[in-house]
Amino acid sequence: MTHEVHKVVKETGGFRIVIANSATSATEENKNDIVIDGSHCGANIAPDYILPSGARGMIGNDAGIGLENAGIASLKTLGEHGIPAAAVAAMSAEIGIGQSTYDDGVISAVNEVAKEMGITAGMSAKEAADKMLAGVLKQRG
Amino acid sequence: MDERSKGDVFVDGSHCGVNVGEMTIDTGMGAMIGNDAGMGKNDGGIAALKMCDEHGIPAAAVAAMSAKIGSGMSTYEQGKISAANETAKKMGVASGMTAKEAADKMLEALAAS
Repeated sequence: MTHEVHKVVKETGGFRIVIANSATSATEENKNDIVIDGSHCGANIAPDYILPSGARGMIGNDAGIGLENAGIASLKTLGEHGIPAAAVAAMSAEIGIGQSTYDDGVISAVNEVAKEMGITAGMSAKEAADKMLAGVLKQRG
Repeated sequence: MDERSKGDVFVDGSHCGVNVGEMTIDTGMGAMIGNDAGMGKNDGGIAALKMCDEHGIPAAAVAAMSAKIGSGMSTYEQGKISAANETAKKMGVASGMTAKEAADKMLEALAAS
């Protein structure tokens, strides 16, 4: 569907931090990547895109959280699969633009796996991404 | 969202950010209703509405607190319009309206055009 080219911002030990506007563009090429995207973190994002891609971490937009916390529903799902995930506040970054998530985003919500890696609300998305990268490197041992 | 949806009134669970605007225009949608994603920074959650206007495509968004983002069915069944572009407004779409009613208005207007 979406065939966007991802920007690689960091690469260490076989893992990368990549930026995508849409989480729907995540493919098997993102296996071992921390995907920073401009999408909401709604219920469809984890099962339809992030889990099939084999990505090792995700940071998206909380989309204002919204009805029944739908904007961050995928965080829990990813956590259940051992994948760290977090969302940035909709008022901190422009939804739809992955670079804004990365450059401007301030974390508003995290799952348990991300929390264990030291990621907390109020942190910049950049710092959170670095912690995820360090975390997955450590997981590998 | 792809060319199979050309001309359709497309009701989806996505935000209405700039990348969704590009997709809507590129795939030749007849009309689009998405989620306002809490509007957010620079009204990024509804950026597509203005873009669609420039291509004569009616577009509207439902309030993030009215429907579950990521679920197109929730947009359609629970959504309350929070923003509409000029093209949609001319078709009678207005804030506060249900997404279902807005979609019907868009379909009627497209059919009549």
